[in-house]
Amino acid sequence: MIAAIPKIVDPPAFAHMIYNYRLVPGGAINAMALLLPWVELLAGIGLILGVWKREAAIVAGLLLLVFLVAIGVNLARGHAVDCGCFDVRSAGKSRDELLLDMRRVLIRDVGLLLLVAQVLAATRTPRWNRP
Amino acid sequence: MVRGSDVARVFALIVLGAGAAALSNVTASTQRKLAWVGSYPRALDTGAPATTSPPTRLVPTASAPAASVPAAPTSAPAAPPAAFEPDLARDFPPHPGKAAVEISSEAVERLHDRKALFLDARRSSVYAEGHIPGARSLPVWESDIDTRVKALFEEGLDQRAPVVIYCSGGNCEDSHMLAEKLYMVGFDNVLIYKDGFPDWQKRRHPVATGANP
Repeated sequence: MIAAIPKIVDPPAFAHMIYNYRLVPGGAINAMALLLPWVELLAGIGLILGVWKREAAIVAGLLLLVFLVAIGVNLARGHAVDCGCFDVRSAGKSRDELLLDMRRVLIRDVGLLLLVAQVLAATRTPRWNRP
Repeated sequence: MVRGSDVARVFALIVLGAGAAALSNVTASTQRKLAWVGSYPRALDTGAPATTSPPTRLVPTASAPAASVPAAPTSAPAAPPAAFEPDLARDFPPHPGKAAVEISSEAVERLHDRKALFLDARRSSVYAEGHIPGARSLPVWESDIDTRVKALFEEGLDQRAPVVIYCSGGNCEDSHMLAEKLYMVGFDNVLIYKDGFPDWQKRRHPVATGANP
C-alpha cells in the first residue's frame, strides 16, 4: 500500500521509471503506470483487511514476480535503474549504488514472495472440504 | 491450486483497479495526467540515446510545414533571433540530418551568455525547484508536452538557431526525447547539454527558481 501511493500521486514519474527498465513496449508504458499502482493498492488493502485475502495474495505474488523479472533482467545486463518501488523520483545515485540497490530489492522481493506463498498455503481449502 | 473463483476475483480486482485508475487520471492535474497510450519509440533500446538517426519528420523543412502541424503565424519575425549570429552560425551550424547534437559545458556557457533559447526537459516541479536562468520549461513526461511544443513552433522562431536542451545529466534521456519532438516539427539545430543541470550547479552558475524562466 505504501509503495502504491507515490505512484498513484505521480503517474508520469512512474511511467518514466517503467521506461527506464527498457522492458515494456512504448505503447504500453502509460497504461501500466496508471493501472499497476491501483492494483497494487487494492491487493494491499485486501491483505490488510482480510478481504479476498487469497486473491489479493495471488495479485501481490504476480506483481512481485513482474518486479523480480524486471530487476533481474536489468541486473543481468548491467543496466542500472532506479527501482521506483517506494519513490518515483530519481535518487541521483551512481551506477554502482543503483546496482547494489537492485540486488537488495531482489532479495527483499524474494522474501515478500515467500510471505505471499505462506498466505496462499494458509488460505488453501483442504481437499476434504471441497464441494 | 488456483480455483475458478480465485481467477474471477483476481480479474475483478484488476477491473476495479482499472476503474480507479481511469477516475484518478480524469481528475488529475495537467502535470499528473497521462495519456493511456504513450509513444516512446526507444522504449526497448538499451544502448546510448541516438543522436545520429533522426525520427521521421512531420515537416520536411522549416519553411514548409506538413498538414498535421499548424503553420507558423504570419506575424513570425522575419529576422533571425539574436542567438543566430555569424559566429554562432559557424560554430553551431544547423544539422538537418540529426535530431540533436551533444555539446560541452563550455559551449553551453557560451550559448547562455549569447541568450540562446534554453529548454528544460525535466518535470515542472523539479524545474520550479531550480533551473538555468532564462530556460523555459518543456517537461517531456507531462501530458501537455505536445501542446507546449506546438506553442513553441507557433512562435515562429528561426528553426536554424541553436536551441539548448538539458535535463538531469547522467542517464537522463528526457533531453533526447524532447529533441526528437522538436526535430519532428522542424527545429534543425537542437543541442543537448549532456551533463545537464547537475553540471550547471557543480560549476556554480546562477540558478533561477519558480515556475517562470
